[in-house]
Amino acid sequence: MADKLLICISAGQASAAHWTGSKIADCRVFAHDESGLAAFKEFLAPLSTVPVYLMVDAVEEDYRFETLPHTYGSDRASMVGRKLKQHYRNSPYTSAWLQGRESGKRHDDRYLFSALTNPELVTDWLQAVTEKGNPVAGIYLLPMVSTALLDKLQLKAPNLLVVAQHSAGLRLTFFRNRQFRLSRLTRNDSDTAEEADRIRFISEEISNTRLYLHALRITTLDEPLTVLLLDRQDEFGDAAQVIAHDNPGLSCQHLGRAEIASKLGISDEQLGLSRDVIYLYLLGLKAPASNLASSAITSGFRHYSMRHGVYAAAAAVALAAVVWGGLNTYQFMDANAQALEAARQTAQQQALYQEATRQFPAAPASAENLKKAVEVAQKLRESARTPEMLMGIISTALEASPAIYLREFGWKYGPTEIESGGTAVRSDSESAAPAGVTLPRKQSGLIDGEIRPFRGDYRAAIDTINEFADRLGRDPAVQQVRVVRLPLNVNPTLALTGNTLDNREQAGTAEFRILIVLKPRNP
Amino acid sequence: MNAEDLKALQFPLIALVCVVLLAAGAVYYSDALLDQSQKKLAQEQKQLKEARTRLQRSGDEKEVIVQYLGGYQQLERGGFAGEEKRINWLDALRLANQQAELFGVEYQISTQKPYPYAAEFNPAPLTLAESAMKLRVRLLHGDDLMRFFNALARQNAGLFLIDECKVRRLDTGGVIRFQPNLMAECELSWVTAKPGSATEKKP
Repeated sequence: MADKLLICISAGQASAAHWTGSKIADCRVFAHDESGLAAFKEFLAPLSTVPVYLMVDAVEEDYRFETLPHTYGSDRASMVGRKLKQHYRNSPYTSAWLQGRESGKRHDDRYLFSALTNPELVTDWLQAVTEKGNPVAGIYLLPMVSTALLDKLQLKAPNLLVVAQHSAGLRLTFFRNRQFRLSRLTRNDSDTAEEADRIRFISEEISNTRLYLHALRITTLDEPLTVLLLDRQDEFGDAAQVIAHDNPGLSCQHLGRAEIASKLGISDEQLGLSRDVIYLYLLGLKAPASNLASSAITSGFRHYSMRHGVYAAAAAVALAAVVWGGLNTYQFMDANAQALEAARQTAQQQALYQEATRQFPAAPASAENLKKAVEVAQKLRESARTPEMLMGIISTALEASPAIYLREFGWKYGPTEIESGGTAVRSDSESAAPAGVTLPRKQSGLIDGEIRPFRGDYRAAIDTINEFADRLGRDPAVQQVRVVRLPLNVNPTLALTGNTLDNREQAGTAEFRILIVLKPRNP
Repeated sequence: MNAEDLKALQFPLIALVCVVLLAAGAVYYSDALLDQSQKKLAQEQKQLKEARTRLQRSGDEKEVIVQYLGGYQQLERGGFAGEEKRINWLDALRLANQQAELFGVEYQISTQKPYPYAAEFNPAPLTLAESAMKLRVRLLHGDDLMRFFNALARQNAGLFLIDECKVRRLDTGGVIRFQPNLMAECELSWVTAKPGSATEKKP
């Protein structure tokens, strides 16, 4: 836990404690004079970076309970600010503590306004602290700090009056339903008075407080009250019995030095350091919400906290990186070790394999290559095609067409049909094939021929060609036959010229061209 | 947060940025190292698995070698397995021309390239290559063409596939004598297979 400097200021002195490791390490008392202040500055010198928590134990304190309309944000801040100025115009040390909400229809906010009405009390001490550069975390009133006592001692009495002898006098703090309501400080001379006088004084002050509470309508005189005598120096002796005897409606508990030490966890030695050590300890454990210091005073502490926050974030990032990096390094080393082991085993397996291969017949390639080569060669041979089949189909068809005279014959085995010269038509499967995909191969052929003899009878020539094409198409191995070119182009979209007076002996030629596509499965 | 707060936090923020950068760098570097080592491990484990499988199958491998060695050696001699043997092809052309009693063969062989239909035969680990050959053969009649190809195949000089042929009549002027009447132009693919380099050669 971070170090803290805890200071309790009263009218005549200040107690300063160095809080480290969740306990008070050192506690000193300084008188409110020049020498005391000088000693205080010396005390601060080695602790100039430690945040300071100031606590004031003085008569010049004021508490007011008020309800305000329920508001939020800046409206609430300005309204509370106005109230504080209205109540404590002359004090810079004021605080408003929102304690809850009323149970009525409006659900108003319940505030405890508190202030230190004599700012001079802390001026010298605060100046010494700021001179040394210590960040000021806050300024608190001692009764506010003592609220932590209820949790620490597990006090649950509905009306509780805590009575303790402080360096500034006798402090009586009243809690109703575990919430702070009122505190009084009365000056007395505890060191010199007789024990009987001290007990009588305490009893009187308790009675006065009860009357005051009754007057303020906080409690009635009939209500039971629990008094806790916090006797740090075992100086009240039998006060509890005497007070209970004098006040029948009152139960009084006495907490001596040993009990305080055991219940609060403060060593006996520390308890003897100062009268304020109990409250310094409570302040060290947890600072109350009610802070009298303005934001100007606590700006240094705000920066201190932010700096620590940023450093903590940096440390967290560094730690996360170290953990992450460490985990990665561990896994890296583990993977490397496994890889080495795998490599060793691979070498072992390879050696065993090499040993086994010595028994193999000598071969020019691996077994897989041998097998694949034989299989692929067989498949290649099976996939081979020749023009022989198409030539046979054409020869058969020609037997019935003696007028057909072949001039040129073409054959192709490939994914596309043979070029038919200007009128090549791609089949549907070819045009639909996506890029990069090899189409299945097929056989196709092209016949260039003419009708011999030809005497100008185009109708007869075309009929002969079509009959020839039909015969080709009837062969079971043929998938498709297309007449690509005829002796006479009768396409109505083209011009046509000629002469019917021409000599029939000189009628020219009747050339044609036929494309044949075989079915894919043909050998 | 105002300017004063920022000024007060100047050094802590610089320190935070430095720490974040260093941390990010350290994490990135260690991640990269880890990734690299895990890839290496995966590779080593794959190799180990392959080595184990190969060892386990060494008995089967021996049987495969015994079964296919003869066929492979025949293919080697026949010019299919291994490197191209173009001299053998030319000798085969010459002999096929003689045996088919043709009038000579003109040839043109292109550079070797991957066989475009290799995927049909799933040849891995072999690599199939082809050299395209254009032939011009003068024929007495149509049957000579197939007689020539059959004679060429009998030479066992390599594995060839006929891709395309065109046969046209030659102008003989009507004279009937022993002379070429047809001209055939054909394209062949001489296909060869090279053993895959991934699989080592056996002793």
